Amino acid sequence: MGLSRRDFLKTSIAASTAATVGMPVAKQAAAAVKASEAGWQWDKAVCRFCGTGCGIMVATKDGQLVATKGDPDAPVNRGLNCVKGYFNGKIQSGKDRLTQPLMRMKDGKFDKKGQFVPVTWEQAFDEMERQFRRVYAEKGPTGIAMLASAQKTIQEGYAFNKLFKAGWRSNNIDPNARNCMASAVAAFYSVFGTDEPAGNYDDIEYADTMVLWGANMAEMHPILWSRVTNRRLGHKAARVINLTTFRNMSSDIADLEIIFKPQTDLAIQNYIAREIIARNAVNWDFVNKHCVFATGPYDIGYGMRPTDKFAFPAEKDVQERERRVKLDKYEAIAQRRTEGEIVEQKNTANPAAHWLITFEDFKKAVEPYTLDFVAELAKGDPDEPLEQFKAKLKQLADHYIDPQRKVVSFWTMGFNQSVRGTWVNEQCYMNHLLLGKQSQPGNGAFSLTGQPSACGTAREVGVFCHRLPADRLIPNPAHRAFTEKQWNLPPKTLNPQIGSFYAKILRDLEDGSVKWLWVAVNNPFQSHPNINHWLKAARELDNFVVVSEAYPGVSAKVADVILPSAMIFEKWGSYGNAERRTQHWRQQVMPPGQARADIWQAMEFSKRFKIKDFWGEQKVPGLKAEGYEDGKLPSVLDEAVKMGYSPEDSLYKVLFATPANLKVRWPDAVAKGHPNHVATLLGDGWFPEKALWQEYVPFTRGDGKDLADFDVYHGDKVRGLKWPVVDGKETGWRFNEQYDPYVKKGAGFEFYGKLFKAIPTGDLDKVTDPKPVSVAGKAKIFFRPYAAPVEQPDANYDLWFCTGRVLEHWHTGTMTRRVPELHRAVPAAVLWMHPDDAKARGLKRNDLAWVESRRGKVQIRVETGGRNAMPRGYTYAPFFDEGVLVNRICIDAACPISKESDYKKSAVKVYKA
Amino acid sequence: MNLSGIFVAAKPEWLPSVVAELNALPGVEVHQVDEATGRIVVVQEAADIPAEIEGLKRIKALPHVVTAEMVYHYLADDRQVYDDLPAELVEQDSPACAVPAYLND
Ligand code: SF4
Repeated sequence: MGLSRRDFLKTSIAASTAATVGMPVAKQAAAAVKASEAGWQWDKAVCRFCGTGCGIMVATKDGQLVATKGDPDAPVNRGLNCVKGYFNGKIQSGKDRLTQPLMRMKDGKFDKKGQFVPVTWEQAFDEMERQFRRVYAEKGPTGIAMLASAQKTIQEGYAFNKLFKAGWRSNNIDPNARNCMASAVAAFYSVFGTDEPAGNYDDIEYADTMVLWGANMAEMHPILWSRVTNRRLGHKAARVINLTTFRNMSSDIADLEIIFKPQTDLAIQNYIAREIIARNAVNWDFVNKHCVFATGPYDIGYGMRPTDKFAFPAEKDVQERERRVKLDKYEAIAQRRTEGEIVEQKNTANPAAHWLITFEDFKKAVEPYTLDFVAELAKGDPDEPLEQFKAKLKQLADHYIDPQRKVVSFWTMGFNQSVRGTWVNEQCYMNHLLLGKQSQPGNGAFSLTGQPSACGTAREVGVFCHRLPADRLIPNPAHRAFTEKQWNLPPKTLNPQIGSFYAKILRDLEDGSVKWLWVAVNNPFQSHPNINHWLKAARELDNFVVVSEAYPGVSAKVADVILPSAMIFEKWGSYGNAERRTQHWRQQVMPPGQARADIWQAMEFSKRFKIKDFWGEQKVPGLKAEGYEDGKLPSVLDEAVKMGYSPEDSLYKVLFATPANLKVRWPDAVAKGHPNHVATLLGDGWFPEKALWQEYVPFTRGDGKDLADFDVYHGDKVRGLKWPVVDGKETGWRFNEQYDPYVKKGAGFEFYGKLFKAIPTGDLDKVTDPKPVSVAGKAKIFFRPYAAPVEQPDANYDLWFCTGRVLEHWHTGTMTRRVPELHRAVPAAVLWMHPDDAKARGLKRNDLAWVESRRGKVQIRVETGGRNAMPRGYTYAPFFDEGVLVNRICIDAACPISKESDYKKSAVKVYKA
Repeated sequence: MNLSGIFVAAKPEWLPSVVAELNALPGVEVHQVDEATGRIVVVQEAADIPAEIEGLKRIKALPHVVTAEMVYHYLADDRQVYDDLPAELVEQDSPACAVPAYLND
């Protein structure tokens, strides 16, 4: 490239950049842009990576990506992108991209012990089908499963959900969002009766105090963080508080940094509640009109297996706590019991039960959470003076309570990935509700998401083992009936029994209850805790594992068949971000080789099955539901025939290429010349992504979740819309009459979610009157006590261990690790620890060490400086590195209500390698 | 070669010194400045992408810089960045097809 061409390009890039951020552009520069971008087609799209959901613009020329830039019109990011966003244009063209199906073969045949060999799609599907039929004949609907993803497009999630639940009558489909957002969802349900946040990102520009609870936004949500930073610097009164278990990058601009001991956020929240009451700061007008008080059982276990039959010998002592727990000194005070008392965990089967209590009971319950008690329990840095820590807690309460300050609380995995994740989410609402600081611009508790479509795909479509689209639940007969009607299924086609959640699918694979597993757009054999168990299970001879992937990762390595998937800009799709914003994009380029979109994989595979294969009587062990014979799903074939189906009809025809969907034709003007490889391959002239979208939206309408039509989102001026979209208008703040058309006129606020709105009455310990009382329109203020982590450092495993992400990498790194520059920026995972802890073990920076827990061990390099600073007793390592599988050490305990794993609290020992 | 457009915001009163410091950084050229608001557009040229990310970090670390984020990235001449893969990902030398060695080891 000649010098002048380069200078010319630079002028053009500068001008484009200026225009993107809204700066004036000189005439000459504009001409340079025009010339250098001749023949390019710019189109709007959305970032592949985090839940922030930034808009990006993508330029293609001759079927190739040529440039990307932040989308100036995107309200989320206003032209900016973070480092990861900047890699959107590159992730598709890594050299080891999977471009054809691979299968383990020996002597020309599938062999579990064979090596991977390229095969045709036909061969791969043949073997998948053969294995599927073997397992289904033996085990029925519960023997198959899918580990799905919050990175699937909305339409992909919808298609797989329908294939599993309606076609195969199996509820064993659960997303990796289970390990990311499930605790947030459980609390949205229990507190508001409907999923997803009330507020939106504009809260940042209205807030005075922004409190981060276990959310390192500087690294994990960089663009939101730039908005927080701007607010902090541009608004005199603005303050940022960072509550965390170790110093991280978000502390750099924080005005107050509170380092607390793992899981004591439960106690800190109750301290704030106690202060609100003690300072007479309850917003009684708001609370009386819009809230009720509630609590539930404490003896709910820790989400582990009910038996230690599969536990390694070293795991058995912790496993025992699933059945009985000896209360420590702090739990005794926090739960109004006696130290050393043995508590049988009697409510592991029904941990989400809850009942109404009085305010007097609530007040009594938070009474033990005095500043002295909480400070002693919660101080996380042994080197910090207690008085200083107390002063900080007091300041934190001051910020919440100050009537002049608008307060937003943000959180992500620090809350959610906890054995009491649901409780701590509920507690955050507790304080916002007590103060009436909720559902208003700049005031509210705001759950952020980690993945790009945790909200849009996993949650809204209900790609969970207990959910159906738009907040409908499997056990609810009316919800199943509604879904059957929408899907044109005979009554009782859907299985009323909740399927296996994410962790349970892996446990099922280990104990032989699931033998056919499909994994797509996630990497469970690297990312799920306690993987030594699951890696072994995947390779059991009887188990068959299919992995749809773009790059070879750990999960692909343990698979039997690998299907090459199309990536984001190689297909049509849509994502929903953390502020309820739904965004669509067009296919920009063709997938390489034989890679194909997951939605095509679902539909093409469904062609191989007939409804008579599944809609006859099926055995479902343990099924118990009103109107069903125990252990059985009835045959619905007669009813199907009456509806006009033939038993010989394929699932493809009945579920996907329905007469209505076939009317949605491809090509379509909305494409503006962009390709659609899925429509082309299916070849029957319909537009699957649009047809399935239009099939899906009626689920959402009239129920406070309203989505707009497909073409609306593709409008040139639209940059996503925040649902509910009513009369073409999006909704900024839910439950607030000023902004939300679903709130009754004159109500001011109305928490109109419908789930769990009739509950019994009781006292702090038990139900006293089982008769359900309606709490329609109200939010619940929960009392939840402090409970100790299930595993804590002891004499042998003497350090805390926590895992998470780093800025430069995305989750398990299957995409970002392909990009060598990112690979080098953080070459391999390191273990952050305090220099004194390192020294005491004869280690220094860069030394190789073993980290060992009850479950396994890994080798890793020690880091005592850098971007994170550990207090003594605490260690952290990210999980992106397949060379350092930190999930060999993590415990697979989980919140018993949400079933979300606790990645943040394992006990380990560290020694020189 | 890597070219990217970076948006920088500085406190307006420090604009001249920030511009001077930006221009002094290797591969960085200030192209546009808005004196009233402290907004700056720079174009960065770097030998490879690690250098580019390092460059961004250097910009962020300059005194009085409030924000610095990449906005625009030119991809057209970037095909060769994948040549330098981590060893465990290098393809098997088989003419039939590329099965990454990593999968079968
Ligand atoms: S903040 Fe998140 S959505 Fe935005 S560019 Fe970065 S990774 Fe993408």
